[in-house]
Amino acid sequence: MAVTADRVEALGAEERRRGWADVTWEFCRKRPLGAIGAAVVIVNLLVAVGANVLAPYDPVTTDYAAMLAPPSRAHWLGTDAFGRDVLSRLIYGSRTAMLVGFSCAFVGATFGAVIGVSSAYFGGKVDLFIQRFMDIFLAFPLIILALAVVSILGTGISNVILAITIPMIPRAALVARSSALAIREMPYIDAARAAGFRHRRIVLRHMLPNVMASYLIMLTAFLGQAILLEASLSFLGLGVAEPVAAWGLMLRGAAVQFAESAPWMALFPGLAISLAVFAFNLFGDSLRDALDPRLRTQ
Amino acid sequence: MLRYIIKRLLLMIPTLVGVAVLIFLLMRVVPGDVVELRFAGESAFASKENLAIERTRLGLDQPVWKQFLTWMAGLVRFDFGTSMWTGAPISEEIRLRFALSLQLAIMATLVAVMLAIPLGVLAALKQDTWVDYAVRVFSIAGLAMPSFWLGIVFILGLLIVFRWLPPMVYTPLWVNPVQNLAQLIWPALAVGYRYSAVATRMTRSAMLEVLREDYIRTARAKGLWQKLILSRHALKNAMLPVLTVIALEFAFLMGGLVVTEQVFNLNGLGLLFVESVAHRDYTLTQALVLLVAFVFIFVNFLVDLAYAWIDPRIRFR
Repeated sequence: MAVTADRVEALGAEERRRGWADVTWEFCRKRPLGAIGAAVVIVNLLVAVGANVLAPYDPVTTDYAAMLAPPSRAHWLGTDAFGRDVLSRLIYGSRTAMLVGFSCAFVGATFGAVIGVSSAYFGGKVDLFIQRFMDIFLAFPLIILALAVVSILGTGISNVILAITIPMIPRAALVARSSALAIREMPYIDAARAAGFRHRRIVLRHMLPNVMASYLIMLTAFLGQAILLEASLSFLGLGVAEPVAAWGLMLRGAAVQFAESAPWMALFPGLAISLAVFAFNLFGDSLRDALDPRLRTQ
Repeated sequence: MLRYIIKRLLLMIPTLVGVAVLIFLLMRVVPGDVVELRFAGESAFASKENLAIERTRLGLDQPVWKQFLTWMAGLVRFDFGTSMWTGAPISEEIRLRFALSLQLAIMATLVAVMLAIPLGVLAALKQDTWVDYAVRVFSIAGLAMPSFWLGIVFILGLLIVFRWLPPMVYTPLWVNPVQNLAQLIWPALAVGYRYSAVATRMTRSAMLEVLREDYIRTARAKGLWQKLILSRHALKNAMLPVLTVIALEFAFLMGGLVVTEQVFNLNGLGLLFVESVAHRDYTLTQALVLLVAFVFIFVNFLVDLAYAWIDPRIRFR
């Protein structure tokens, strides 16, 4: 008996493991573009984690002997107006981008999903109130909200994350609510209610797991948006502050001023932003098609 | 229909009031005020009394609720007051910039439409071929590139290849159309490409949906030209969601081009936004936020109205 049970369990585990590999393989075969996107995302994450090993120079050390040096064997992508190595700053910049991207997307999508699902579950007056409240935030210009947050709290990476996360929450809530509305009518929610479960348990254990598809789609969509927003804010001087390496910051000031004589300063950071966001979007797009072809979120 | 319109119009009021309260409070939480900033430049005169006198003049010594009520009372009469920084009437300050932002938004939307609809239709017709993939990559790339960076690349490209720089000083369209277009076409292209992406994908998926309908098969079966089927039967019915997306993006463009305006040295609403927040110009910031929020909500309302007009079922919901 014991042996059989063990074997069954072992078989089950193997089945599950093969299941994962199968799912991944299937995704790569059917959606090559998405697989490429995922690969670039993984490379980007590895670069961010191993920045101190990979970068040939320190990203903040200035070298006035090598100011505005064109790409060469010593500085593959040239140097900036302070003689800092562009490649090293790009590599360290991916840390900032990944940190901002993942924390904003995760927090924004999670809070939004909880609010949206609760709003759909409770319905009636609560729903109406939450919806109107979210409408206010949706109508509020995103960049002004970020401007205000940064003006109140000051620049710096954690404030930038907050400034980007807040406007994401109502957008996530909107999407989560619309998929939760259908789930609320399912018999198993009635069953859970009849069984006398508390509201919190029904929302967190029964409804949230079932909006997972739209949650994942939102998460991947927000990742790219957060990176772009961070770049815009830093470019305006409202994001990450010097001398921290950030892609948007690298495009600011001298990069525009010396764009003609030292185009590498303006070109490479923009390419890094585009490639990272492109990869996230490519992956997110394919994930959306794979999970739910009917969902047409932007 | 009239009842529906009135109901929707009335529903706009609480949202706008909410936006007004939010921006009013936010601006008061931001440290520093316009008086301090103005006197910071000429610190010799910045005695406590002078600051107090200036604050009284601007009404900043009043309790916050009273300031809010005064502002609201002005709004009801469409009186936005004067800018705390320049002293000029706000309607004047905004009008100058509004024309520029509106023109840029219209041009960018035109670029987006001219890219999105042909590409979206093409991708739908050639679904799952390399054409479809290429269109998809092109549109996702548009979403990925920061439009301000694309602007820098455009300027750089023009400079290096043609040894020519677009004019950097704004000329109104009615003064010198050539000069005006030579300046604004580049930001319009950079922004329009980005905003074409969502519309392209929407066109593609709407077309795919419509092409599977029975009446398309009927049209094919009776031997109608492919061209006629596409333009008369399919495209017409696929346009509604596409128009929605384009309208919402247009609303967003009216206030959201802060960074692009910076790159192209355009003195539009976006730049005014950044300046007014930096100056702690409460009255101007409040008016601007309310204006952008109003445009956004109003365009949303028009879109809903278009739906209700086309689909009577929505009206009675």
